[in-house]
Amino acid sequence: MKPSRRHRLGGLALASPPLILVAVFVGFPILVALAYSLGQVGGLNSTIGTIATEQSTVDAWYKVTFGAYRTVFADPRFQRDLVVTVLVTLATTVIVVVLAWGIALYVRLSDSWVAKILSALAVVPMFIPVVIASWAILTFYAADGFLRSIAAHVGIEAPIWGYTITAVVIGLVWTNLPFATLMVVSGVQGVPDALIEAARDAGASIPRTVVSIIAPMALVPTVIAGTFTAIGTLGAFTVPYFTGPNAPKMLGVDLADYFQSFNLPQSSVVMAIVIFIVASGFGGVYVWANYRSAASSGRV
Amino acid sequence: MRPTTVVAAACLAPLALTLAACSSGTSGGAATAGGTSITVAASDDTNIQDLFQKVLIPDFEKKYPGTSVKLVFDLHGTNDQANYAKLAAATAQNRAPAMDVTASSVPKAAAAGLLATDTSKVTNLATVDQKVLAAGGPGAVPYRASSVLLAYNPAKVSNPPKTLVELLAWIKANPGRFTYNSPKTGGSGGAFVTTVLDSNVPAADRDTMTTGYDKALEKDWDPGWATLAGLNPYVFQKGVYPNGNNQTLQLLSSGQIDMAPVWSDQFISGKAAGTIPATMMAQQITDPSFTGGASYLGVTKASKNQDLAWKFIDFVLQPEEQAKVADKIAGYPAIALDKLPAATQAKFAGADTQNLRPGYNSDHATDINNLWDQNVPGK
Amino acid sequence: MTSLPTLPATTTPTTSDTTAPSTAALPRTAGRGRGPARLVGPVLSVAFVIVLGLFVLGPLLWLGVRAFATNWTYPNLMPDGWTLQWWNTVFQDPNLQSSVVLSFQFAFVTMVVSAVLCLPAAYAFSRFDFPGRRVFLIGLFATNAFPRMGLFVALASLFYAFNLMSTFLGVVIVHVLGTVVFMTWIPAAAFSAVPRSYEEAARDAGAGRFTVLRKVTLPLAMPGITVALIMSFLASFDEAQGTYLVGNPEYITMPTQMYSLVLNYPPQVAAVFSILLAIPSAVLLLLVRKHVMGGQLAEGFQIR
Repeated sequence: MKPSRRHRLGGLALASPPLILVAVFVGFPILVALAYSLGQVGGLNSTIGTIATEQSTVDAWYKVTFGAYRTVFADPRFQRDLVVTVLVTLATTVIVVVLAWGIALYVRLSDSWVAKILSALAVVPMFIPVVIASWAILTFYAADGFLRSIAAHVGIEAPIWGYTITAVVIGLVWTNLPFATLMVVSGVQGVPDALIEAARDAGASIPRTVVSIIAPMALVPTVIAGTFTAIGTLGAFTVPYFTGPNAPKMLGVDLADYFQSFNLPQSSVVMAIVIFIVASGFGGVYVWANYRSAASSGRV
Repeated sequence: MRPTTVVAAACLAPLALTLAACSSGTSGGAATAGGTSITVAASDDTNIQDLFQKVLIPDFEKKYPGTSVKLVFDLHGTNDQANYAKLAAATAQNRAPAMDVTASSVPKAAAAGLLATDTSKVTNLATVDQKVLAAGGPGAVPYRASSVLLAYNPAKVSNPPKTLVELLAWIKANPGRFTYNSPKTGGSGGAFVTTVLDSNVPAADRDTMTTGYDKALEKDWDPGWATLAGLNPYVFQKGVYPNGNNQTLQLLSSGQIDMAPVWSDQFISGKAAGTIPATMMAQQITDPSFTGGASYLGVTKASKNQDLAWKFIDFVLQPEEQAKVADKIAGYPAIALDKLPAATQAKFAGADTQNLRPGYNSDHATDINNLWDQNVPGK
Repeated sequence: MTSLPTLPATTTPTTSDTTAPSTAALPRTAGRGRGPARLVGPVLSVAFVIVLGLFVLGPLLWLGVRAFATNWTYPNLMPDGWTLQWWNTVFQDPNLQSSVVLSFQFAFVTMVVSAVLCLPAAYAFSRFDFPGRRVFLIGLFATNAFPRMGLFVALASLFYAFNLMSTFLGVVIVHVLGTVVFMTWIPAAAFSAVPRSYEEAARDAGAGRFTVLRKVTLPLAMPGITVALIMSFLASFDEAQGTYLVGNPEYITMPTQMYSLVLNYPPQVAAVFSILLAIPSAVLLLLVRKHVMGGQLAEGFQIR
């Protein structure tokens, strides 16, 4: 069916309200912030510019300075925190995807009560606000928390994970698990029984079936799960703020500290842009995966 | 219905909704007509929130029926910068700011000319120490004071340190039994940091940095940062600095640490409320002592309701309310002690409530937050 | 789904415009009864359940018990005594009630505004092929890639200029921004899953375009829309940082209070507050649990 021209414009008009909203309140502010990070302190940036300290500025609209970027990148604290943020993101994403796959395969290949409990458990964190989750996780792994208490009862000195990067990874895995599990379970469930049966009848072992039949077909949902986890983790604030150490910190916390406690909003904005660029990298994988799936099923 | 109509209706609906929301949204400001209600903004710990919420505001509303005072409170003052930015923006545009009376970033706002300056409307100002009054800047009115003390658990510490040098030695001799909160999250940790830094700052430089801002002088802090970073292996969990004054108190109360810098007012009222065990003790150290100082109130220059705002400040400085400040939160009163009831005076016997070692100018204090974060944890 | 078995092994079995909804929940009879015993032993299965259970539920229970505890001495596994006094402390707090009411107001308004703005768009994304459709869908997704805190910092300048700071509308805008992606994507997938043939049949029977939408398309897409509505409600209900930066000092919601409560009150009080704050989320999500688990959410995040 070839849509008429009016039909197509009507579609665009219907789709426009959220697009306009996002353009005005996300796209535009990001551009303004970008200008601020490049030294523009006039116009919309004038309020923030008069309060802030230690800014790199330019005196004409057509000039730019990378002073703020140089300052931020020269700061060993930022270098350290950027590395930690990326490492935490990778660790969290890998753990979440592995866990989600474990649960998904269990649910796919069995429908025992174990499978039902597993899939229900994995979704629980979705029901709990992040603030509470972070705090609960901190107390659970703290010096006087459950893990250490139970270990003390059997005579072991368990490690203290409260206020460490380990706690941050635990918290981020906890909060990201439901979405990833839902995505991967949905993908794995979609693999037709006939295909699995055929492979099994041809003598393929279960691991072999998983690797060559199920995994390729659930690739796109896995990539989506991974991307969302990675992007959410990169800019995470609440979990690392509550459970993490004073140093090293994740950039989401740095961002808030620089803006709120150190009165260095320009550095804060530079960090936001750096996170955005890294997140865009992950986002690119997501778009590619979707495009590939759309292309192979002839929808492009 | 034809497609175009659907489209038009769908596009118009959100617009109408937005307009409706706009018209109702503009009435949200602080200044309401009639001059019978004001908004007070404060930022500190929960004890100060209770002081306003449960003592000062109800008393004021009782004394002046028909008036209403609204409190907006920012625990820890973590958003002081953002709120200050809002005040500055509102003043620049001559709009009614979100608050009529402010209790946060007052000296900074005074220095920037964001406060109304006719303090003559405050009749109770007569017995306030002139030096403390001047230190706040034009328009800032001191209404209470407090200092940081060294709290300890006598069950574990029989001979507490008397000087900073002794304290540093104690920390190293008792690994894992001391900590302080990061300076950005609360003043008790901030006072400890400031005091360590001060032991290497020449007096003349310190005076300059107390009243003004000179970034070049911050190099005097370098030896102090090295000392603080050197403590990392000896503080709680080999370098955990909690978020906020109260978390430090909780660690002390639950026995996870044995010693910490604490606010005098929080410590005394915590013991009274039972959240801190009654056996805990606190004392001041010397050479140098922990910092302390007055807290200020100010009327925002752009406020449309200044008369009532001044009335509120004057009310807070009345001897009866000052006595309640002393009783409720163990805060040092801002007016002369001899104006207070004898029982309250006795409480502060021996304490020089109006002569405390001041902290740094607020811009330097912000830099301390930043430099501490850069130089101490994880080093 | 008749075409599925013939797909090459490298493609995913995603729904196309002509398939029925709930692909993910497709019954799978043939694979049943095989595998688990051979794949992992029963002992390992139980161990996996226990570890995951401890990991997910442990922290929540540990926190929940605290709300009724007088004091708790390490390393005991139970509190020293039981009390309800912390509940009293919380209920006597004058800020509590107003913040609860405010949280519900924001969540409801956000849900409605977001639905009004985004549902027509979701329909358009599903049913019209207009220029730039795919680019716009991905553009909406980009709102997720910029760190939230950074966005609020950037938004601040704009809000000062538009006079939106400390206004109800300002907070609603911040909340709606957090809902746009799933309020558009999930319903769009739900609309796409409604077979065109049903609509065409209704058309042939003489129904107008609007009637078809109301009588056929909307009811069939309702599970997906409901999931999106509740997700928006909860996104708003849980939002803290943006609300603080924009709403303070006029609008303090429950999660905003939670941030400071956790750090400033005895742990038991924060535990009580946590339970109170988690109840609405848990109830609402339980209501749509079937649809969320059934794949409505997962469907929504695959661009087509």
